[in-house]
Amino acid sequence: MKKPSITLIASLVAALFAVAPPVHAQQAKRPNIVMIVADDMGFADLGSYGSEIRTPNMDALAKAGVRFTNFYTHASSSPTRSMLLTGVDTHLNGLGNMDEWTAPNQWGLDGYEGVLNNRVATLPQLLKGAGYHTYMVGKWHLGKNPDQIPAARGFERDFTLLDGAASYWDMTNFTAAAPKTVFTENGRYLTRLPEDYYATKTYTDKMIGFIDESRADGKPFFAYVAHQAPHDPYHLPKDWRNRHVGEYDKGWDAVRQERLKKQIELGITPAGTKLAERMWFIPDPVVLAPASRAILGKKMELYAGMVENLDHHVGRLVDHLKSIGEYENTIFIVFGDNGAEGTDLFKMIAGSPGSRDYLWAAANWSQTNPNAWGDPGSYIGYGPMWAQVSMTPFSQYKGWVAEGGVRNALILSGPAVKRPAGSINHGLMHVADFMPTLLDVAGTSYPKSIAGKDLPPLAGKSWGPMLAGKVDSVRTDKDYLAWEIFGNRAVRQGDWKLRWQWKPYGTGEWELFDLKADPVERSDLAAKQPDKLKAMVALWDDYARTNRVILPSRGPFETLVDVLPMRVPDDPGFPPLIYKRQFVPPKDMMADPKP
Amino acid sequence: MNKLSWSRLVAASLAVVGALASTQALAQVPGRFYWHGLVGANGVPLIFNSLTGNSNPFDPSHQVTPNASFDATMAMMGYAKMFALGDRSAMAAIILPMGRISGDASLAGRTASQSASGFGDPMLEFAVNVIGPKAQRNIPDVLRYEPGFSMDLLADLALPIGEYNSNQALNIGQNRWYGRIGAPIVWQLGDWVPGRRTTLEFLPAVWLFGDNTDYLGGQRLKTDPMFQLDAHLTRDFTEHFWGALDLSWYTGGKASINGVAGEKLNNVGGGLTLGYTINSNLNLTVGYKSTFNSSSPGELRMDGFMISLVYGWHPLIEGMKRLKNE
Repeated sequence: MKKPSITLIASLVAALFAVAPPVHAQQAKRPNIVMIVADDMGFADLGSYGSEIRTPNMDALAKAGVRFTNFYTHASSSPTRSMLLTGVDTHLNGLGNMDEWTAPNQWGLDGYEGVLNNRVATLPQLLKGAGYHTYMVGKWHLGKNPDQIPAARGFERDFTLLDGAASYWDMTNFTAAAPKTVFTENGRYLTRLPEDYYATKTYTDKMIGFIDESRADGKPFFAYVAHQAPHDPYHLPKDWRNRHVGEYDKGWDAVRQERLKKQIELGITPAGTKLAERMWFIPDPVVLAPASRAILGKKMELYAGMVENLDHHVGRLVDHLKSIGEYENTIFIVFGDNGAEGTDLFKMIAGSPGSRDYLWAAANWSQTNPNAWGDPGSYIGYGPMWAQVSMTPFSQYKGWVAEGGVRNALILSGPAVKRPAGSINHGLMHVADFMPTLLDVAGTSYPKSIAGKDLPPLAGKSWGPMLAGKVDSVRTDKDYLAWEIFGNRAVRQGDWKLRWQWKPYGTGEWELFDLKADPVERSDLAAKQPDKLKAMVALWDDYARTNRVILPSRGPFETLVDVLPMRVPDDPGFPPLIYKRQFVPPKDMMADPKP
Repeated sequence: MNKLSWSRLVAASLAVVGALASTQALAQVPGRFYWHGLVGANGVPLIFNSLTGNSNPFDPSHQVTPNASFDATMAMMGYAKMFALGDRSAMAAIILPMGRISGDASLAGRTASQSASGFGDPMLEFAVNVIGPKAQRNIPDVLRYEPGFSMDLLADLALPIGEYNSNQALNIGQNRWYGRIGAPIVWQLGDWVPGRRTTLEFLPAVWLFGDNTDYLGGQRLKTDPMFQLDAHLTRDFTEHFWGALDLSWYTGGKASINGVAGEKLNNVGGGLTLGYTINSNLNLTVGYKSTFNSSSPGELRMDGFMISLVYGWHPLIEGMKRLKNE
């Protein structure tokens, strides 16, 4: 056989390259996308956002990328997830209300299915169509039926908790109505969990496996890492439980002050910012016995451990991408899905003696001794006082549309980010922006229709110009953001914020705030600024009409005003009975009684 | 957990004062005796024993009377207080034995009966922790307490003022100074969660005895030092109910009367203990112990049932209970 000549080989190689380069070159330039969602993590819980909690791995991403201080999610879990995966407003994508709380007047209506409806396209679906691998691990919370699970909504590979929360150790559910939590792996419903399961660890292991298994084809990937952590119950391996022993005995006020000071030093929060009021029903820690501070502080110790353990596993994923040479070509997105959790979910589910779920909790969730906190069968959340710490300096927390419910930390790093490493951006951003932004990154666009069905319009805007460093915000003064969940509603336009909340967290009336002067929403300007109020209410009306908002006839907060103490102002130093410096007689005037 | 529930946790910790459920019978204290509690806690034990054997249970040297059979009903009352010595946990206690004993001894085909009753020799006890967590000075310390590997130093001293009749061998008081030094060890195995706690505990100790110079009509009774090793494997069954396997080994303690030496001890005994926390003040312990015997008449043979009630309290906890009208 005649040997091929060098010239012939060279010609063939040249011919191959002449055809292939445009495709390979284009695909090689497209970055991987790793989106890390921390469930219920607060604005101020990362070291790079002023926290004492040690998060070196997420902070390293912040140092290499950009931190955002005006990034908005929704006020609760599934609505946020629905928007980040569709870019469409909740009232159109099926999460007009959470499945758990859909009101009677919303039942059966489009946009209020409680699951991601079939009229929207998903980010993984479109990225997959654009040549991306699409992987998911962690919490879904957007539907459990076979046509609603991640495998049916665009993810090639998944290891998914379909419920909104769960044990980190096993499948034991919180309610006897559904004794086992539901998981899928690659579209199949799991009968049991893997050996050595711990949610945060297993999710990370699975994602690393997905990435490695399909890496050979050179396609970029979209990795949606939707961690349960640090959502309650605070289940933690023992090694992670005692890293802050006694550190929080000083109480929530002191920790909030320390975090605010650090935030101002870092440039996260403007100098001169004051803390939001301590919620009126939360005591000042100075009046608590040391034991009360210790036991309540231990809850925060556990939460800090949850965040640090999460950070550890984020670091494992980042390190793995470095080890396989994918780090430099990966965009990392890190954020919390809503405000920190201040509501006692366990009490809500199982707090009534004599009820079915109380009995269920007695059998499965009654490890209440502090030394058992973190074990299977324990259910610890940290309560509203520490949720406020997590949301420093803002007001309120998850479930509410005050800043503490909807504003969160966001870190973005990677090849698409052309802004200075370690910089801070104060532009107005929204979770619905991810869809157009990431489609841009992938070199594709949002279609008008799919399979003959028209798609609803995107609610968000692409961050392309912002990431390129051309503008600080992609929103103009005329653009506005709006929220509605459980009847709580808000609008933000520029520095102005309009909000309506159930009493007593709100007033049951429209409130108006100037967030530039008052980012922690202490001063309601509704009475002083009637014209601005009217203009903002008009924006709300526009939003509600455009997105077919139907205010719920029932909701989780409808009786709260009868449950909580009457709301009173938080005036520093009041009452003097507690805060006035106590009289101490002068030593030189003291004497023993005369006989 | 509501904000006051820590008080219940702390109140439960007073159970450690139940440690005083000691008995000189078989010279062994039950498991969980040397757990530490909140500084300032107090305890009053009341212990009943019903014992039989060939040795006087009021006599910790376990001097064996071959071919003898004794029956004793013994009660002990005492008082103990937890305090801090520097940053270490410490305990001081006094315990007073009382009761009656009767027995028959056969020698050369003749059987002699004796009996005694009254108060025995009060014993002072002092223990201080040397390895392990610092003293629990406040309630947060109690909440965070886990023994891990803890070791105390222990000293006991009996005062020879109990009921004594030099004309008979069987007595409640011993008419001599005696005491022991030891090193109680608590080794936590696994989680420290009520309902799941497991410990392996040891008490190596040496008993030291002064001479009784008025033994049976003016004779001198000398007893060599006796080494004792107690071991307990304890385990919670529920938050308030626990049990233990107990083992004891004694060696030494050779007695001599006017220079005529007897046999030294080398015995092993074992038993079972069950404990129950009735409420935040009151602990109940029941147990049975027996020596493991061979057929040798000179070997120690004893067995007995024990019931103890220990009332523990701390002024702070009592105050909180008053406020809550418990």
